[in-house]
Amino acid sequence: MTDFHALVAEDEPILALALKQALQRLWPELKIVATVDNGAAAIEQALALHPDVLFLDIKMPGKTGLEAAQALAEDWPDGTPFPLVVFVTAYDDFALQAFEQAAADYVLKPVNDIRLAKTVSRLKERLALPQQRDAELERIVGQLRAMAPAAAASERLTVIRAAVGNQVRLIPIGDVLYFEATDKYVSVVTADSQSLIRTTLRELLPQLDGNQFWQIHRGTVVNINGVAAAVRDEAGKLSLKLRARSEILPVSRVFAHLFRQM
Amino acid sequence: MTLHLPDAVEARLLARRFMVRLGLVTVFDIACAAVVTYLMRIGSDFSVNLVFSLCIGTTALILIEGPRLLLWGDSAPPKPMFFPMLVVAAALAYVIGSTLAVWILDLPAQQVIASQTNNAVGLLVLTILASLFASWFFWSRGNLHALMARAEAEKAHAAAVEKQATQAQLQLLQAQIEPHMLFNTLANLQSLIAVDPARAQNMLDQLIIYLRATLVSSRAETTTLGHEFSLMEAYLGLMSVRMGTRLSRTLHLPDSLRDMRIAPMLLQPLVENAVKHGLEPKIDGGHIDVAASLEDGMLRLTVTDTGLGLDAAGGGGTAVGLANVRDRLRALHGATASLTLERNAPAGAIAQIFIPIRS
Repeated sequence: MTDFHALVAEDEPILALALKQALQRLWPELKIVATVDNGAAAIEQALALHPDVLFLDIKMPGKTGLEAAQALAEDWPDGTPFPLVVFVTAYDDFALQAFEQAAADYVLKPVNDIRLAKTVSRLKERLALPQQRDAELERIVGQLRAMAPAAAASERLTVIRAAVGNQVRLIPIGDVLYFEATDKYVSVVTADSQSLIRTTLRELLPQLDGNQFWQIHRGTVVNINGVAAAVRDEAGKLSLKLRARSEILPVSRVFAHLFRQM
Repeated sequence: MTLHLPDAVEARLLARRFMVRLGLVTVFDIACAAVVTYLMRIGSDFSVNLVFSLCIGTTALILIEGPRLLLWGDSAPPKPMFFPMLVVAAALAYVIGSTLAVWILDLPAQQVIASQTNNAVGLLVLTILASLFASWFFWSRGNLHALMARAEAEKAHAAAVEKQATQAQLQLLQAQIEPHMLFNTLANLQSLIAVDPARAQNMLDQLIIYLRATLVSSRAETTTLGHEFSLMEAYLGLMSVRMGTRLSRTLHLPDSLRDMRIAPMLLQPLVENAVKHGLEPKIDGGHIDVAASLEDGMLRLTVTDTGLGLDAAGGGGTAVGLANVRDRLRALHGATASLTLERNAPAGAIAQIFIPIRS
């Protein structure tokens, strides 16, 4: 039997050490190939090392555990089994509820040997069935979807205020074809203009009408009224054609379910 | 002395007040007519005396209230000027009012003159006394209204202040110990007990200081700067065990300021903000410096960090916490106290509190 590899992402060094020691105690055959202390490094190392199991702390600098899981689900290479993901959290009402609803694997900090032993035996079971591992990516995608916070109907944006030079351009929300996240900004694209606003997609999303604006990638939110068609290429990758612009917007596998035919 | 000329709104208010007073004066006039007819036994006809009384009373009202409003407006007239004016106006009113009554009743002139000369002094004194009484009555009525309005306003103000204080207290209690912080600290503690019992012991000591100080200081009116700094030392100690090499800290409290009294929970939110929004979410972490100094009669508390800075802090939590500190500063020290937040170069934020020192 081959050894399984694990990656531990935890920003607090003592907690990372404790989790690693507990895992070595309860699962000596598991090889911890890397320990990282932030979300960005977790994505990078996981894509480089292809571990079988991922322990992701929820609250980490850089990217949260959930954001890291989503980025990995989007960028994971085809043909490589997706790791089993276990979220690690201290105390967070919302996260706990979301985990219960999404039936996600999670362990609570402080890590308790009895609880961790249960997680370990469940992980071993799933790793022993290779045919189930193919479904792992779909499973985590489903979990992330279930955990996505619902947009509150309250403070909806009706107009985007974007600074262009020394003036502020007012863009009615209906004119926006899509939002695209760049480094520190979000690019607001209409049929004939493109402006930057200083915010993040994460902050913007709850203020948008979820029926009209669909997230199709971790960096893209599209106005569904402006979409002409969803196209699937030979490799099975999905992308959107817009009515008023020539560029093609890729849809990540996390959001591909939105475009299945009725 | 300038003439006080009313604008449209004032004029309407004045007209309404004049009508009310006219009504009251009419009641006085009826009483005066009764006194003249039945007590002073001047003339025999109550209705004739009533017409005289109404004419004199109304004229007196116009002659007294008119100049008073024009000269002094709504403010109380100075007594040494108002009383002579009142006596002159009453005398004038007596003459004008009587003439008016004679004209209205169409009485024979000689009869009136004879009756008036006989009783002139008595009637004049009555007019002046009635005017004095009416003026005093209006005056005290006005004062009563003003007093009642002031009491009402004071009550509303007290209620508003109390509401604000309760709200601040509530926010304070909520802001204190975040479950996330507590459970993460306990998780660290539990792990440390196995690997490094001595460090675990030390961490537990700091947790006890932090918990006790946070819970006690929220109930105390004031605490000392020394106490606040040892609380921050304990908090930053806990955070640096948790964050490891990602967090470094320095605290500067001059010995001379150690016993200075200060309201609790002013410094703590700034330090916790800097860690929570600036340093903890930053991949490389950073440094925090907490300092107190005296400058130009002001106590200055400075929290400097090299974290993510003001742009990234974005979340609503920071704004609420700072608004709460601002409210408390204003409530405790008035407009001279302040809280400022600015960029630190090359990265991070500087939060400063200025509090005036009572000498």
